[in-house]
Amino acid sequence: MQGRHTGALRALWIVAILAFLYIPIISVLLASMANTRYMRFPHKVWTLDAYREAIASFTTWQIHSISFWIAFFVVIFAVILGTLGAVAFARFDWRGRSLFQRLLVLPIFFPQPVLGLALLLSLNAVGLSPSWKTAILAHLVWIVPIVTLIISIRFFGYDPTQEEAARDLGANNWQVIREVTLPALWPGIFSGGLFAFLLSWSNLPLSIYTSGPDTPLPVWLFTRTATNYSPLVPSVAVIGTLISACLVISFALIVLAIRGLQRRRA
Amino acid sequence: MILSLASLSKTFGTTKAVDDVSLTIPEGEFLTIVGPSGSGKSTLVRLLAGLETPSGGDLFLREARITDTPANKRPTAMVFQSLALFDHRSVGQNIEFAMKMKGVPALARRARAMELLQLVRLPAEYYSRSVTQCSGGERQRVALARAFASDPEILFFDEPLSAIDYRLRKTLEVELKELHQRTGRTFVYITHSLEEAMVMSDRIAIMQDGRIIQTGTPAQIYGAPANRFVASFMGEVNILTVENKGDGQAAFVEIGQPIAKPGGAYAMVRPEALAQGAGDISAQLTVTQRLMLGSRTQVHLSSETGAILISEIPGTAPDLLIGSTHSFSFATQDIAWMET
Repeated sequence: MQGRHTGALRALWIVAILAFLYIPIISVLLASMANTRYMRFPHKVWTLDAYREAIASFTTWQIHSISFWIAFFVVIFAVILGTLGAVAFARFDWRGRSLFQRLLVLPIFFPQPVLGLALLLSLNAVGLSPSWKTAILAHLVWIVPIVTLIISIRFFGYDPTQEEAARDLGANNWQVIREVTLPALWPGIFSGGLFAFLLSWSNLPLSIYTSGPDTPLPVWLFTRTATNYSPLVPSVAVIGTLISACLVISFALIVLAIRGLQRRRA
Repeated sequence: MILSLASLSKTFGTTKAVDDVSLTIPEGEFLTIVGPSGSGKSTLVRLLAGLETPSGGDLFLREARITDTPANKRPTAMVFQSLALFDHRSVGQNIEFAMKMKGVPALARRARAMELLQLVRLPAEYYSRSVTQCSGGERQRVALARAFASDPEILFFDEPLSAIDYRLRKTLEVELKELHQRTGRTFVYITHSLEEAMVMSDRIAIMQDGRIIQTGTPAQIYGAPANRFVASFMGEVNILTVENKGDGQAAFVEIGQPIAKPGGAYAMVRPEALAQGAGDISAQLTVTQRLMLGSRTQVHLSSETGAILISEIPGTAPDLLIGSTHSFSFATQDIAWMET
């Protein structure tokens, strides 16, 4: 008896959680198939016109391309800086390390709009005009600490004696890094890169201040929702989500393929 | 001589971890360096492996000076205390690492790895297993095979058995000794356990405060410890102090008994040499504690001066009850004399 009750409760709980998480997402999908500015559900007319309009529009292509290039460079720089940072953060013990650790995570706790404003003011101060390039810089200030933390986690439980063992067995410095340190860090670098991409792709508060005339996807969605809403907005949102999902999946597949090749070679 | 250490030193800040150590190691020897933690034995072996640069002195492999040769260029391999296995690789990949670094082709590597698995008594199917799936003893064997794979002239062991339970440790000690006999390689082994050193080694070097204070075969060290530190390191032994009373008269402070011709300032008497009944040097001692050790009984004995001596008697010693006083003695030939 008790078993059946707990089973039913558990099912209810799971459904409630899933509904809570996914109904908002489904509503975007539904809203994108309307032909009116005002959402009255169910729609009188179901249509894919908004998608046709979105795909035909140059703006759709442009905002995605801006978001993609920002995210692309953020991933590259965040992974490089995050890996080096993690090495300093977790691998070696040096004077001032704990201060460095605290200063490093501080930007994460800053409200992003405040950080965005601060960045815009500093860009003005040094005479840089905001564009998609300065948005990369802004994203990095917030994302590098997160990526550093993610990669650092790999160092806890990592036995640095492995590097000495590799050297003792004939590996030179570069071989030690390639054969021991990087493979051990690899899962962290992978998830760090993934987080960097998704956090950059979806970032609104930093981009809004620092991207200037270049409009990335989230900024476009926000401004069009606020001032000139039409079903075009949810349809672009759906397209943007699909594109980021495709990018993430293909990234994962490429990584898996590389690993498979390496294993076959070994 | 395969390895010669000439006044080797290593200082960290103001601490002398290794202090002017000179030692020669003949080819094929099983040498064990024994010392308590902080005695500098780990630093010493790291200097020998090339993982630390010496602050002074020189190191020679056969006749060649290798003081400044980095670890990856030395024909030596080390088995680390943590084993330092590559956790993201399989057993086979771990073993093949050194060969891969040398550029040995995959097929030859695999064949050699199979031989090495056999050498360390691991089944061939372990080749593709992940090292994280291996038990403690299996990981030891993988580490051993990995070290052998580089075909080293000398193998270093930095307390690899210290984290292993008693029974497995005993098995691996014997296996290691057999492996040494079968391969004929030079082994330099580090441990804090003199007992472990006695079981395996051809020769033992005892380290204290960065210096080697005695070297010798296990029998030599057992029979004639160089000083009280070495004697006490061997476990429970009685150390008696000689007091010179002038005009050729001397006595043991602890038991108040005269000694005709003392051979040194201190005398070591093993618990089994201190027996009931009359002998060369005897004293009335009171039993304060008795411990059953299986085949023998250990009794703690208090002398008139309050010093505690230890005796081990075969069997159960039923008459040595706590609080009872008996006559104990030892023979002068059972004394090992020490100056310091």
